[in-house]
Amino acid sequence: MSEAIIKVEHLNKQFIVDKKPIQVLKDINLEVQKGEFITIVGHSGCGKSTLLKIICGLVGYEDGVVERNGHKVEGPGPMCGMVFQDHRLLPWLKIKDNVGFGLKDLTKKEKEETVQQHIDLVGLHGFENSYPSQLSGGMSQRASIARGLANNPSILLLDEPFGALDALTRIQMQKEILRIQKEQGTTMVMVTHDIDEAIVLGNRIVVMSARPGEIKDIIKVSTAARQRNSADFSYVKKRIYEYLFEDSEQDAETDYVI
Amino acid sequence: MKKIVRSLIVPIIIIIVWALVTTFGDIPQSLLPSLPFVGVGLRNMVESGQLANDLLISLGRVVKGFLIAAVLGVTLGSLMGMSKTICEMLLPLFTTIRQIPMMAWFPLIILWCGIGESSKVVIIVIAAFFPILVNTLSGIQSTPEGYLEVAKMYHLNTWKRFVKLYLPHAIPQILVGLKLGLGVSWMAVVASELVAATSGIGYRMNDARSMMQSNKVIVCMLVIGLVGILMDKLISTLFSLFTPWEKVKKYN
Repeated sequence: MSEAIIKVEHLNKQFIVDKKPIQVLKDINLEVQKGEFITIVGHSGCGKSTLLKIICGLVGYEDGVVERNGHKVEGPGPMCGMVFQDHRLLPWLKIKDNVGFGLKDLTKKEKEETVQQHIDLVGLHGFENSYPSQLSGGMSQRASIARGLANNPSILLLDEPFGALDALTRIQMQKEILRIQKEQGTTMVMVTHDIDEAIVLGNRIVVMSARPGEIKDIIKVSTAARQRNSADFSYVKKRIYEYLFEDSEQDAETDYVI
Repeated sequence: MKKIVRSLIVPIIIIIVWALVTTFGDIPQSLLPSLPFVGVGLRNMVESGQLANDLLISLGRVVKGFLIAAVLGVTLGSLMGMSKTICEMLLPLFTTIRQIPMMAWFPLIILWCGIGESSKVVIIVIAAFFPILVNTLSGIQSTPEGYLEVAKMYHLNTWKRFVKLYLPHAIPQILVGLKLGLGVSWMAVVASELVAATSGIGYRMNDARSMMQSNKVIVCMLVIGLVGILMDKLISTLFSLFTPWEKVKKYN
């Protein structure tokens, strides 16, 4: 097995709310291989976004080991891009400037080329000079992905990037992100609360319990299971569903429709 | 078009009533001048160059005072917005000082600066500083946490964070502050000239009053109002120039 690009060992994380410590992550162990697409599913508030932010370096941690490329994570770095749920494009910058926002130490020409290349990659050709407010939700998220990839990071973290999109756009974007991952070979870790999305995109699915967030299982997804209408897909979906709703199994039986 | 017509209805009624009262009523010209008499006053003041001269003097003071206040207000507001420490050090002080009405500064300022140019400028600075400061501060402070996280992702230094995130986000509110600031600058200069001055539009008004030239008083008042509106429009125009991204929203 190749070397892990992300390594998380015995990670615990507490937040202090109203002077009381609240455990959000409990003994998280995860290794991500280079080129993998990992999806993390769990209830809202289970700490999955926090886990992503810790990997990215935006949130600190005290207990455990978090490494990227064999180095301890001490802050955000250019090797690790991030896409947020609310695209977080800066309204006062044109799309090309938003995409080039994090680019440093490049000549003007190099910068322009890199920006153009990534705008083309996400299929936003022709919108270079638009402002974010002129773009639809899906297009904004494309621009945000382009910004995340502009630095050519080896890791791209995605925090529920398609959560605010309508169902059709979401499926379209899922196809796009798979294509982009294939083209760029970027290691991707995506947090989602959409079980279907987790199965379609992930090589492996990390299922997390409600607070404190613990990894319940890591499910390997076969190529066959990534087809939405396959039996394997339904099987994986049922498994995840049971993990997430094992406390209320009665509901799971009645609500669940394959 | 409809909007303009509507906005003119009440002023026209007032002018008509004014004309009727001064034509048929028994009111001395020195208390309420008739319309033609005001016209004569205006012509005299324009032809003698007095009006232009006074206006330029007053505007010069406003420009000086307002620019100083703008630089101070935007700078301090930005520093306070970006640094909690600086904010905690200065905000209580400023909030207290802000409660003192502009007019209440006159005695001290006149003691310190006399009745010359500098006292007017200082009064304007004090008056315009607070609206600019408060609006800049609130604009900077309301910069969404999400944008700051993006800055953190890309290791932006403080200056870059200011130029690329805080400032553009705060510009609409800073311009609101500047608009209010310019408005009070204009009020402050007229007020300070009324109290103690030897030139300027406020002084001219007081001078005309002491000579019972009510028509000139009215001319000055109208000019003051007109200049105020023009200043307001000027800032609004600047606003749309500085925030091209606000404009595109309309087409969305």
